[in-house]
Amino acid sequence: MYELFFKNMTEKVKLTRDQQQMIRQYLVPKKIRKNQYLLQEGDVAKYAAFVEKGALRAYSVDEKGTEHIIQFAFEGWTISDMYSYMTGEPATYNIDALEDSELVLLNKSAQEEILQRVPEYEEYIRLQLTGAFMSMQKRITSMLSLTLEERYIQLTQLYPSLVQRVPQRMIASYMGLTPETLSRVRRKIKERWE
Amino acid sequence: MRTKQTIAVLGATGKMGSAIAKSLSKGNYRILLFSRDNTKLGRLKRELRNAVPQADVVSVDCSYNACWEADVIIAAVPYSAEKEVADTIREVANQKIVISVANPVNNNGDALLTPLNTSAAEELQKLLPNSKVIKAFNTMFAADFNQPEIDGKQVDAFIAGNDDDALEIVRDLVQTAGFNPVIAGDLSLSRVLEHMQLLLIRLSIKHNYNRLAGWKILHH
Repeated sequence: MYELFFKNMTEKVKLTRDQQQMIRQYLVPKKIRKNQYLLQEGDVAKYAAFVEKGALRAYSVDEKGTEHIIQFAFEGWTISDMYSYMTGEPATYNIDALEDSELVLLNKSAQEEILQRVPEYEEYIRLQLTGAFMSMQKRITSMLSLTLEERYIQLTQLYPSLVQRVPQRMIASYMGLTPETLSRVRRKIKERWE
Repeated sequence: MRTKQTIAVLGATGKMGSAIAKSLSKGNYRILLFSRDNTKLGRLKRELRNAVPQADVVSVDCSYNACWEADVIIAAVPYSAEKEVADTIREVANQKIVISVANPVNNNGDALLTPLNTSAAEELQKLLPNSKVIKAFNTMFAADFNQPEIDGKQVDAFIAGNDDDALEIVRDLVQTAGFNPVIAGDLSLSRVLEHMQLLLIRLSIKHNYNRLAGWKILHH
Protein backbone atom coordinates (compact mmCIF):
# COMPACT_ATOMS: atom_id res chain seq x y z
CA MET A 1 0.00 0.00 0.00
CA TYR A 2 2.88 2.40 0.78
CA GLU A 3 5.76 0.34 -0.70
CA LEU A 4 6.89 2.75 -3.39
CA PHE A 5 6.25 5.76 -1.15
CA PHE A 6 8.72 4.52 1.47
CA LYS A 7 11.10 3.03 -1.11
CA ASN A 8 11.51 6.45 -2.74
CA MET A 9 11.96 8.11 0.61
CA THR A 10 14.48 5.66 2.05
CA GLU A 11 16.53 5.80 -1.14
CA LYS A 12 17.11 9.48 -0.43
CA VAL A 13 17.16 9.67 3.38
CA LYS A 14 17.70 7.21 6.23
CA LEU A 15 14.57 6.49 8.24
CA THR A 16 14.23 4.16 11.21
CA ARG A 17 11.38 1.67 11.37
CA ASP A 18 9.76 3.77 14.12
CA GLN A 19 9.96 6.92 12.01
CA GLN A 20 8.33 5.12 9.09
CA GLN A 21 5.61 3.86 11.40
CA MET A 22 5.06 7.38 12.68
CA ILE A 23 4.78 8.82 9.15
CA ARG A 24 2.40 6.02 8.19
CA GLN A 25 -0.14 7.24 10.78
CA TYR A 26 -0.64 10.41 8.76
CA LEU A 27 -1.10 8.88 5.31
CA VAL A 28 -4.41 8.44 3.53
CA PRO A 29 -4.57 5.39 1.25
CA LYS A 30 -6.89 6.14 -1.65
CA LYS A 31 -7.93 4.22 -4.73
CA ILE A 32 -9.30 6.20 -7.63
CA ARG A 33 -10.86 4.91 -10.83
CA LYS A 34 -10.06 5.97 -14.37
CA ASN A 35 -11.67 9.32 -15.31
CA GLN A 36 -12.50 10.20 -11.70
CA TYR A 37 -11.40 13.53 -10.30
CA LEU A 38 -9.06 13.91 -7.40
CA LEU A 39 -9.53 17.67 -7.59
CA GLN A 40 -11.72 20.04 -9.56
CA GLU A 41 -10.96 23.67 -10.28
CA GLY A 42 -12.51 25.97 -7.66
CA ASP A 43 -12.06 23.57 -4.73
CA VAL A 44 -9.09 23.89 -2.40
CA ALA A 45 -6.38 21.26 -2.97
CA LYS A 46 -6.32 19.63 0.45
CA TYR A 47 -3.89 16.90 -0.54
CA ALA A 48 -0.65 16.19 -2.31
CA ALA A 49 -1.01 12.79 -3.96
CA PHE A 50 1.84 10.32 -4.37
CA VAL A 51 1.19 7.73 -7.11
CA GLU A 52 1.81 4.14 -5.94
CA LYS A 53 0.19 2.73 -9.04
CA GLY A 54 -1.51 4.24 -12.09
CA ALA A 55 -1.43 7.59 -13.84
CA LEU A 56 -2.97 11.03 -13.35
CA ARG A 57 -2.80 14.41 -15.01
CA ALA A 58 -3.22 18.01 -13.90
CA TYR A 59 -4.75 20.41 -16.39
CA SER A 60 -6.32 23.82 -16.67
CA VAL A 61 -9.17 24.81 -18.97
CA ASP A 62 -9.10 28.14 -20.83
CA GLU A 63 -12.02 30.41 -21.68
CA LYS A 64 -12.63 28.59 -24.97
CA GLY A 65 -12.86 25.29 -23.11
CA THR A 66 -9.48 24.01 -24.33
CA GLU A 67 -7.57 21.80 -21.90
CA HIS A 68 -3.91 22.54 -21.17
CA ILE A 69 -2.07 19.71 -19.45
CA ILE A 70 0.40 20.96 -16.86
CA GLN A 71 1.75 17.68 -15.54
CA PHE A 72 1.47 13.93 -15.79
CA ALA A 73 2.13 11.76 -12.76
CA PHE A 74 3.01 8.07 -13.00
CA GLU A 75 4.33 5.66 -10.34
CA GLY A 76 6.64 7.47 -7.93
CA TRP A 77 5.50 10.99 -8.84
CA THR A 78 3.62 13.46 -6.68
CA ILE A 79 0.79 15.60 -8.03
CA SER A 80 -1.31 18.46 -6.66
CA ASP A 81 -2.27 22.03 -7.39
CA MET A 82 0.73 23.26 -5.38
CA TYR A 83 -0.41 26.88 -5.30
CA SER A 84 -3.77 25.92 -3.83
CA TYR A 85 -2.20 23.34 -1.49
CA MET A 86 0.26 25.87 -0.07
CA THR A 87 -2.03 28.92 0.13
CA GLY A 88 -5.48 27.42 0.72
CA GLU A 89 -6.79 29.44 -2.26
CA PRO A 90 -9.18 27.71 -4.74
CA ALA A 91 -7.41 25.47 -7.24
CA THR A 92 -7.01 26.52 -10.87
CA TYR A 93 -6.13 22.98 -11.96
CA ASN A 94 -8.22 19.87 -12.38
CA ILE A 95 -6.60 16.55 -11.51
CA ASP A 96 -8.06 13.30 -12.81
CA ALA A 97 -7.03 9.69 -13.20
CA LEU A 98 -5.93 8.38 -16.61
CA GLU A 99 -5.96 4.82 -15.27
CA ASP A 100 -7.33 3.06 -12.17
CA SER A 101 -4.82 4.27 -9.59
CA GLU A 102 -3.63 3.78 -6.02
CA LEU A 103 -2.55 6.93 -4.24
CA VAL A 104 -1.04 7.99 -0.95
CA LEU A 105 -2.52 11.31 0.12
CA LEU A 106 -1.01 13.73 2.60
CA ASN A 107 -2.67 16.93 3.75
CA LYS A 108 -0.79 20.08 4.64
CA SER A 109 -1.26 20.01 8.42
CA ALA A 110 -0.16 16.36 8.53
CA GLN A 111 2.87 17.27 6.43
CA GLU A 112 3.72 20.12 8.82
CA GLU A 113 3.54 17.73 11.77
CA ILE A 114 5.82 15.21 10.09
CA LEU A 115 8.26 18.02 9.24
CA GLN A 116 8.33 18.93 12.95
CA ARG A 117 8.78 15.39 14.16
CA VAL A 118 11.15 13.87 11.59
CA PRO A 119 14.17 15.99 10.55
CA GLU A 120 15.03 13.44 7.84
CA TYR A 121 11.65 14.09 6.25
CA GLU A 122 12.56 17.75 5.91
CA GLU A 123 15.70 16.69 4.04
CA TYR A 124 13.55 14.48 1.78
CA ILE A 125 11.13 17.32 1.03
CA ARG A 126 14.04 19.65 0.26
CA LEU A 127 15.35 17.14 -2.28
CA GLN A 128 11.85 16.68 -3.72
CA LEU A 129 11.35 20.43 -4.11
CA THR A 130 14.78 20.86 -5.67
CA GLY A 131 13.92 18.13 -8.16
CA ALA A 132 10.56 19.72 -8.93
CA PHE A 133 12.20 23.12 -9.40
CA MET A 134 14.78 21.67 -11.79
CA SER A 135 12.15 19.91 -13.90
CA MET A 136 10.13 23.10 -14.07
CA GLN A 137 13.22 25.03 -15.23
CA LYS A 138 13.84 22.33 -17.81
CA ARG A 139 10.25 22.50 -19.03
CA ILE A 140 10.41 26.29 -19.44
CA THR A 141 13.78 26.16 -21.20
CA SER A 142 12.60 23.46 -23.55
CA MET A 143 9.42 25.42 -24.36
CA LEU A 144 11.45 28.52 -25.19
CA SER A 145 14.55 27.24 -26.88
CA LEU A 146 14.25 23.68 -28.21
CA THR A 147 12.84 22.54 -31.52
CA LEU A 148 9.60 20.57 -31.46
CA GLU A 149 11.47 17.33 -32.23
CA GLU A 150 13.93 17.95 -29.41
CA ARG A 151 11.11 18.73 -27.03
CA TYR A 152 9.24 15.55 -27.92
CA ILE A 153 12.36 13.41 -27.42
CA GLN A 154 13.10 15.08 -24.11
CA LEU A 155 9.52 14.45 -23.00
CA THR A 156 9.66 10.75 -23.80
CA GLN A 157 12.90 10.54 -21.82
CA LEU A 158 11.27 12.25 -18.83
CA TYR A 159 8.24 9.95 -18.94
CA PRO A 160 9.42 6.68 -20.58
CA SER A 161 5.96 5.05 -20.51
CA LEU A 162 4.16 8.16 -21.74
CA VAL A 163 3.60 7.09 -25.34
CA GLN A 164 2.18 3.69 -24.35
CA ARG A 165 -0.07 5.00 -21.61
CA VAL A 166 -1.32 8.40 -22.71
CA PRO A 167 -3.36 9.32 -25.81
CA GLN A 168 -1.55 11.46 -28.41
CA ARG A 169 -4.02 14.33 -27.99
CA MET A 170 -2.97 14.63 -24.33
CA ILE A 171 0.71 14.63 -25.20
CA ALA A 172 -0.05 17.38 -27.73
CA SER A 173 -1.92 19.31 -25.05
CA TYR A 174 1.05 19.01 -22.68
CA MET A 175 3.35 20.37 -25.39
CA GLY A 176 0.94 23.14 -26.32
CA LEU A 177 0.48 21.77 -29.87
CA THR A 178 -2.46 20.61 -31.92
CA PRO A 179 -2.65 16.83 -32.40
CA GLU A 180 -1.93 17.39 -36.12
CA THR A 181 1.31 19.25 -35.42
CA LEU A 182 2.41 16.57 -32.94
CA SER A 183 1.72 13.90 -35.51
CA ARG A 184 3.98 15.76 -38.02
CA VAL A 185 6.70 16.00 -35.36
CA ARG A 186 6.50 12.27 -34.69
CA ARG A 187 6.63 11.50 -38.43
CA LYS A 188 9.75 13.63 -38.83
CA ILE A 189 11.49 11.88 -35.95
CA LYS A 190 10.54 8.49 -37.36
CA GLU A 191 11.80 9.40 -40.86
CA ARG A 192 15.12 10.50 -39.42
CA TRP A 193 15.63 7.11 -37.81
CA GLU A 194 14.58 5.10 -40.86
CA MET B 1 -17.34 21.28 -3.08
CA ARG B 2 -17.27 20.48 -6.78
CA THR B 3 -15.05 17.41 -6.56
CA LYS B 4 -17.24 14.37 -6.13
CA GLN B 5 -16.65 12.63 -2.81
CA THR B 6 -16.82 8.86 -2.57
CA ILE B 7 -18.90 7.49 0.28
CA ALA B 8 -18.76 3.84 1.37
CA VAL B 9 -21.89 2.64 3.14
CA LEU B 10 -21.18 -0.48 5.20
CA GLY B 11 -24.31 -2.35 6.20
CA ALA B 12 -26.03 -0.81 3.19
CA THR B 13 -29.01 -3.17 3.16
CA GLY B 14 -29.91 -2.57 6.80
CA LYS B 15 -32.74 -0.17 7.63
CA MET B 16 -30.47 2.78 8.42
CA GLY B 17 -27.87 1.92 5.77
CA SER B 18 -30.36 1.81 2.92
CA ALA B 19 -32.16 4.94 4.15
CA ILE B 20 -28.85 6.84 4.29
CA ALA B 21 -27.70 5.53 0.88
CA LYS B 22 -31.02 6.50 -0.72
CA SER B 23 -31.01 9.98 0.73
CA LEU B 24 -27.40 10.65 -0.31
CA SER B 25 -27.81 9.36 -3.85
CA LYS B 26 -29.43 12.71 -4.75
CA GLY B 27 -26.21 14.54 -3.91
CA ASN B 28 -22.89 14.99 -5.70
CA TYR B 29 -21.51 11.75 -4.30
CA ARG B 30 -20.29 8.45 -5.61
CA ILE B 31 -21.80 5.83 -3.35
CA LEU B 32 -20.27 2.41 -2.76
CA LEU B 33 -22.66 -0.06 -1.20
CA PHE B 34 -21.42 -2.98 0.85
CA SER B 35 -23.49 -5.66 2.51
CA ARG B 36 -23.14 -9.37 3.15
CA ASP B 37 -26.62 -9.94 1.73
CA ASN B 38 -26.06 -9.96 -2.05
CA THR B 39 -29.69 -10.48 -2.98
CA LYS B 40 -30.81 -7.48 -0.95
CA LEU B 41 -27.86 -5.49 -2.27
CA GLY B 42 -28.86 -6.06 -5.90
CA ARG B 43 -32.41 -5.02 -5.07
CA LEU B 44 -31.25 -1.87 -3.27
CA LYS B 45 -29.00 -0.85 -6.18
CA ARG B 46 -31.89 -1.22 -8.66
CA GLU B 47 -34.19 0.69 -6.36
CA LEU B 48 -31.71 3.55 -6.03
CA ARG B 49 -31.13 3.78 -9.76
CA ASN B 50 -34.86 3.83 -10.45
CA ALA B 51 -35.46 6.52 -7.87
CA VAL B 52 -32.52 8.71 -8.95
CA PRO B 53 -31.50 7.85 -12.54
CA GLN B 54 -28.37 10.05 -12.42
CA ALA B 55 -27.20 8.47 -9.12
CA ASP B 56 -23.59 7.28 -9.10
CA VAL B 57 -24.08 4.09 -7.11
CA VAL B 58 -22.13 0.84 -7.27
CA SER B 59 -22.00 -2.24 -5.10
CA VAL B 60 -18.61 -3.47 -3.93
CA ASP B 61 -18.10 -7.06 -2.82
CA CYS B 62 -15.44 -6.33 -0.22
CA SER B 63 -15.63 -3.79 2.60
CA TYR B 64 -11.83 -3.36 2.60
CA ASN B 65 -11.84 -2.30 -1.07
CA ALA B 66 -14.89 -0.09 -0.61
CA CYS B 67 -13.14 1.77 2.21
CA TRP B 68 -9.87 1.98 0.28
CA GLU B 69 -11.72 3.83 -2.46
CA ALA B 70 -13.82 5.96 -0.11
CA ASP B 71 -13.25 9.46 1.23
CA VAL B 72 -15.94 8.97 3.87
CA ILE B 73 -17.01 5.68 5.45
CA ILE B 74 -20.46 5.28 6.95
CA ALA B 75 -20.54 2.39 9.42
CA ALA B 76 -24.28 1.64 9.39
CA VAL B 77 -23.69 -1.57 11.32
CA PRO B 78 -24.95 -2.64 14.76
CA TYR B 79 -22.83 -1.83 17.79
CA SER B 80 -22.04 -5.52 18.20
CA ALA B 81 -20.40 -5.59 14.75
CA GLU B 82 -18.18 -2.54 15.25
CA LYS B 83 -15.08 -4.44 16.32
CA GLU B 84 -15.13 -6.84 13.39
CA VAL B 85 -15.70 -3.99 10.93
CA ALA B 86 -12.91 -1.93 12.50
CA ASP B 87 -10.47 -4.84 12.29
CA THR B 88 -11.27 -5.30 8.59
CA ILE B 89 -11.03 -1.67 7.50
CA ARG B 90 -8.42 -0.22 9.92
CA GLU B 91 -5.59 -0.02 7.39
CA VAL B 92 -7.62 1.61 4.59
CA ALA B 93 -9.60 3.90 6.93
CA ASN B 94 -6.39 5.63 8.03
CA GLN B 95 -7.04 9.38 8.44
CA LYS B 96 -10.49 9.02 6.85
CA ILE B 97 -13.85 10.09 8.23
CA VAL B 98 -15.77 7.16 9.71
CA ILE B 99 -19.35 7.91 10.68
CA SER B 100 -20.68 5.96 13.65
CA VAL B 101 -24.42 5.43 13.17
CA ALA B 102 -24.98 2.72 15.79
CA ASN B 103 -26.92 3.16 18.99
CA PRO B 104 -25.86 0.50 21.51
CA VAL B 105 -29.43 -0.27 22.53
CA ASN B 106 -30.19 -3.62 24.19
CA ASN B 107 -32.68 -6.09 22.75
CA ASN B 108 -35.57 -4.80 24.85
CA GLY B 109 -34.95 -1.25 23.63
CA ASP B 110 -34.93 0.03 27.21
CA ALA B 111 -31.25 0.58 28.02
CA LEU B 112 -27.84 1.15 26.45
CA LEU B 113 -25.17 -1.55 26.51
CA THR B 114 -22.31 0.94 26.97
CA PRO B 115 -21.25 2.23 30.40
CA LEU B 116 -22.08 5.88 31.13
CA ASN B 117 -18.51 7.06 30.65
CA THR B 118 -18.33 6.06 26.98
CA SER B 119 -20.39 5.60 23.80
CA ALA B 120 -20.48 3.45 20.67
CA ALA B 121 -18.72 6.26 18.77
CA GLU B 122 -15.91 6.61 21.33
CA GLU B 123 -15.44 2.85 21.37
CA LEU B 124 -15.15 2.91 17.57
CA GLN B 125 -12.59 5.72 17.83
CA LYS B 126 -10.51 3.54 20.17
CA LEU B 127 -10.66 0.74 17.62
CA LEU B 128 -9.69 3.12 14.80
CA PRO B 129 -7.20 5.47 16.46
CA ASN B 130 -5.99 7.04 13.18
CA SER B 131 -9.45 7.65 11.72
CA LYS B 132 -11.69 10.64 12.27
CA VAL B 133 -14.76 9.14 13.89
CA ILE B 134 -17.87 11.30 13.74
CA LYS B 135 -21.23 10.54 15.34
CA ALA B 136 -24.11 11.28 12.98
CA PHE B 137 -27.41 9.88 11.67
CA ASN B 138 -28.16 8.28 15.04
CA THR B 139 -30.84 10.57 16.50
CA MET B 140 -33.60 9.65 14.04
CA PHE B 141 -35.45 6.63 12.68
CA ALA B 142 -34.94 5.18 9.21
CA ALA B 143 -38.48 6.26 8.25
CA ASP B 144 -37.55 9.90 8.91
CA PHE B 145 -35.29 9.88 5.84
CA ASN B 146 -38.38 9.70 3.61
CA GLN B 147 -39.93 12.51 5.53
CA PRO B 148 -37.30 14.69 7.20
CA GLU B 149 -39.98 17.29 7.83
CA ILE B 150 -42.47 16.37 10.53
CA ASP B 151 -45.38 18.58 11.55
CA GLY B 152 -44.01 21.29 9.25
CA LYS B 153 -40.60 21.33 10.94
CA GLN B 154 -37.31 20.07 9.56
CA VAL B 155 -35.90 17.42 11.89
CA ASP B 156 -32.59 18.33 13.57
CA ALA B 157 -29.72 15.91 13.05
CA PHE B 158 -26.93 16.12 15.60
CA ILE B 159 -23.27 15.63 14.81
CA ALA B 160 -20.35 15.13 17.21
CA GLY B 161 -16.64 14.74 16.56
CA ASN B 162 -13.15 16.03 17.27
CA ASP B 163 -11.98 17.18 13.82
CA ASP B 164 -13.37 20.48 12.49
CA ASP B 165 -12.85 19.72 8.78
CA ALA B 166 -14.49 16.32 9.20
CA LEU B 167 -17.46 17.87 11.02
CA GLU B 168 -17.98 20.28 8.11
CA ILE B 169 -17.92 17.46 5.55
CA VAL B 170 -20.46 15.46 7.59
CA ARG B 171 -22.61 18.56 7.99
CA ASP B 172 -22.90 18.68 4.18
CA LEU B 173 -23.87 14.99 4.09
CA VAL B 174 -26.58 15.50 6.71
CA GLN B 175 -27.91 18.49 4.83
CA THR B 176 -28.01 16.54 1.55
CA ALA B 177 -29.99 13.84 3.35
CA GLY B 178 -32.63 16.49 4.08
CA PHE B 179 -32.06 17.15 7.78
CA ASN B 180 -31.09 20.30 9.64
CA PRO B 181 -27.50 19.67 10.75
CA VAL B 182 -26.58 20.70 14.30
CA ILE B 183 -22.96 20.29 15.40
CA ALA B 184 -23.24 19.33 19.06
CA GLY B 185 -19.58 19.27 20.07
CA ASP B 186 -16.69 16.85 20.48
CA LEU B 187 -16.99 13.09 20.27
CA SER B 188 -17.79 12.67 23.97
CA LEU B 189 -21.17 14.32 23.20
CA SER B 190 -22.01 11.01 21.48
CA ARG B 191 -22.98 9.71 24.94
CA VAL B 192 -25.78 12.26 25.05
CA LEU B 193 -26.78 11.72 21.41
CA GLU B 194 -27.01 7.94 21.86
CA HIS B 195 -29.14 8.43 24.99
CA MET B 196 -31.38 10.85 23.09
CA GLN B 197 -32.18 8.09 20.63
CA LEU B 198 -32.85 5.67 23.48
CA LEU B 199 -35.43 8.13 24.79
CA LEU B 200 -36.94 8.53 21.32
CA ILE B 201 -37.21 4.75 20.93
CA ARG B 202 -38.90 4.40 24.33
CA LEU B 203 -41.32 7.26 23.66
CA SER B 204 -42.06 5.90 20.21
CA ILE B 205 -43.04 2.54 21.73
CA LYS B 206 -45.03 4.12 24.54
CA HIS B 207 -46.94 6.63 22.43
CA ASN B 208 -47.00 4.71 19.19
CA TYR B 209 -45.18 7.32 17.06
CA ASN B 210 -44.94 4.68 14.36
CA ARG B 211 -41.17 5.29 14.25
CA LEU B 212 -41.71 8.62 12.59
CA ALA B 213 -40.35 11.00 15.16
CA GLY B 214 -37.33 13.25 15.63
CA TRP B 215 -35.74 16.00 17.64
CA LYS B 216 -36.10 19.73 17.16
CA ILE B 217 -34.30 22.32 19.25
CA LEU B 218 -36.59 25.34 19.68
CA HIS B 219 -34.77 28.61 20.00
CA HIS B 220 -35.22 32.25 19.15
